Amino acid sequence: MTKILLIDDEPDILRVLSRSLHADGYDVATALNGGEGLREFGRRPVEIVITDIKMPGLDGIEVLKRIKDQAPETEVIIITGHGDIDSAVEALHFGASDFINKPVRDEALTIALKRARDKIDIRRRLQEYTHDLEQKIQAATTELRRRSNFQAKLIRSSNDGIVATDEQLKIVVFNPGAERIFGYLQDEVIHHRYLPDLLPDEPTGTVQRAMMAPRSLREIPWREALIASKSGERIPVMFSGSILYEGDQKLGAVAFFQDLREIKRLQRELVHSERLAAVGQTVAGLAHGIKNILHGLKGGSYLVDVGLAKKDNEKLRKGWDMIRRAIDRTSHLVMDLLSYSKERQPQFEKCSPNAIAAEVCDLVRERALQEQTELVCDFDAAIAPVFMDPHTLHTVLLNLVSNALDACLFDESTAKRWRVCVRTASEPPQRIRLEVSDNGTGMSAEVQEKMFTSFYSTKGHRGTGLGLLVTHKLVEEHGGRIEVATQPGQGTTVTVWLPFRHEAPNA
Amino acid sequence: MAKKVLVVDDDPDVRLFNTTVLEENGYLPLEAENGEEGLRMIRAEKPDLVILDVLMPRQSGIRLYRELKTNAALKDLKVMILSGIGQKTFLRSQQALTEFGENPVPEPEFYIEKPVDADVLAATIKKAIG
Repeated sequence: MTKILLIDDEPDILRVLSRSLHADGYDVATALNGGEGLREFGRRPVEIVITDIKMPGLDGIEVLKRIKDQAPETEVIIITGHGDIDSAVEALHFGASDFINKPVRDEALTIALKRARDKIDIRRRLQEYTHDLEQKIQAATTELRRRSNFQAKLIRSSNDGIVATDEQLKIVVFNPGAERIFGYLQDEVIHHRYLPDLLPDEPTGTVQRAMMAPRSLREIPWREALIASKSGERIPVMFSGSILYEGDQKLGAVAFFQDLREIKRLQRELVHSERLAAVGQTVAGLAHGIKNILHGLKGGSYLVDVGLAKKDNEKLRKGWDMIRRAIDRTSHLVMDLLSYSKERQPQFEKCSPNAIAAEVCDLVRERALQEQTELVCDFDAAIAPVFMDPHTLHTVLLNLVSNALDACLFDESTAKRWRVCVRTASEPPQRIRLEVSDNGTGMSAEVQEKMFTSFYSTKGHRGTGLGLLVTHKLVEEHGGRIEVATQPGQGTTVTVWLPFRHEAPNA
Repeated sequence: MAKKVLVVDDDPDVRLFNTTVLEENGYLPLEAENGEEGLRMIRAEKPDLVILDVLMPRQSGIRLYRELKTNAALKDLKVMILSGIGQKTFLRSQQALTEFGENPVPEPEFYIEKPVDADVLAATIKKAIG
C-alpha cells in the first residue's frame, strides 16, 4: 500500500483529503504544520508527501527542500493557492513532482498521485534494472577473470611447451613446458629473444613464411624437429604453430612443442625388446632344428656302437650313414644361418630367369613324382636374358617350390590330386614375376603371421625354419617384393617380383 | 613271444634308430612312415606299443593319436610320443581340436622329446610294456 504524508494547516482540508485518500486505498498520515510533518516523515518515511505551500512556521517550499535533502526519491506534491504560478514554479525548481491548485479537486489530485506513483514505479524498475545490470556485469567480469585465469593456468600447466610471439616474432609467452624443453627460464626469453633464436632453420623458415603469407596460411601442421636446448642438448620435438589474427590484423604467432625424448626412449626400448624376443624365437627355432639333428647323431652313434660290439658291418655302415646325414644337415643349417645373418649385396650377372626356373624344376621333379604331386611349369617366353642375381633367383625359387611340395606332402586330405605350379612372367619395364602355387595344406593366420619373421617350422625334421627367412631376405636385398595368398585346406600362392637391369651395373 | 612295437615316423633315420634299439632289447619292431600307414598296421598287426612321431606328412601324429584314443577298439593300445616338438605344444594342439568340437583325448602316458639316448628310450619302453 502506498504511504502518503499529508501536511496542511487547515484541519478541515486535512480531514476531508485524508478520508478521500484513505478511501482510494492509500495509507495516510497527517500533520498540521511543516515541523510536525518533517518529524512524522523522520519517524516513518513515506513515498509521497502532499503539502500545502502556505503554512505558518516552515512553509511548503522549506518542507520540500528538507525532504528532498533527506530522501531525494520522495515524490512531493505541492498544494498552491489559485493562480500562485510563481510558488508553483519555485516548487518545481526545488524538485516537487507536481502541484495542484486549491481548492483541491479530486480529479486533479488523482492525476497528480497517479503521475507520482508512475514515477516511483519507473524509478523502482530502473533501480531494479540497474541493480540487475550491475549483477550481470559483475558476473561477466568474474567469468572473464576466471576464463583468463583458466587460460593462463592452462598455458602454464600444459605439458607441451607453448611459446607465443608478437608480430616481429619476439617472445611474449614462454610457459614452464617450454622452459623444460629449451632449458631457458621465461625471464631470459620473454621480450629478450625471438622465436627463430630457439628453432632450427627449417621450422624457422616455415614460421617466417607463414607470417608473411596471406591469411589463408594460418596453421603450421605438426612435424618433427630437432631443437638445441640452452645447454646444447639436441632434443627431438613435435612442433606445430599458428599465426594469430584479430580480424585481418596479424597479432603474432604461437608455437607448440612436444618433448619426444621419452617417446624416443620408449621406442628404443621397444625395438630392443623386440630384438630380444626375436633372438629368443631364433634360439627356440634353432634349438628345434638342432634337436632333430642331435637325434640323428645319437641314433647313428648307437648303431655304430651296436655294429662295433657285434662286429656287424651292416649296422656299422648304416650308423655311419646316419651320422653323415646329420653332418650334412648341420652344414645346411649353418650355411642357411650364415646366409640369413650376413648382409649380402646381390651380384648382378647376365642370366636367363626361365633357364634358372627350369633348373629348379628339374631338381625337384623326381621328388614330386615320388610324392604323387604334379609339377607344372609355365614360363613366359617373352623373358629374355637379363642382369640379375642368379643365386637369389635360384635359392628363392628352390625354397618356394620345396615349400609348395611340402605343403602337398603334409596335406591330410585324401580327395586331392596335388599340384605345384611354377610360373614366370615378364612385367615391363624392369621386373619379372615368379609365382609358385600349390593346392596343399594352406596356412592358418597364425602360421602366416610367423612365416617371414621368425624361425619357425611346421615340418618336423624336414624344416629348419630358415627357408622363408632366407627367401624373404634375398628378395629384399634384390629390391624385390614378396606376397602370399593362402587359404587353410585350399593351398598357397607365393608371388615374388624381382627387378632386373638391362645392362651390367658399373660396367 | 617277443612283444610287438610299431614305430611311426617319417624320418628313416629315426625309424632305423628306434627299430635297432627295439631289436637289441628283445622286442619285435614294426615300421610305418606316416599316420595312415600306421593305422593300417595297428589294425593288421595289433602291436603292444606304438612309438609315434608328431609332425609327419599325410597324417600327423596329432591326428593318429586322436583316432586311436577315441576308437573303442584301440583306445587301450599303449602309445608313446617321440617328437622334436615339446609336450606342451602337442597338448595345446590336441586342446585346440577339442575346442573345435571333437571328443577330448587323454594326455599321452609316455612322452619323449628328441633327441633321446638309446638307454632312456629302452627304459621307457620297458616301463610301458615290460
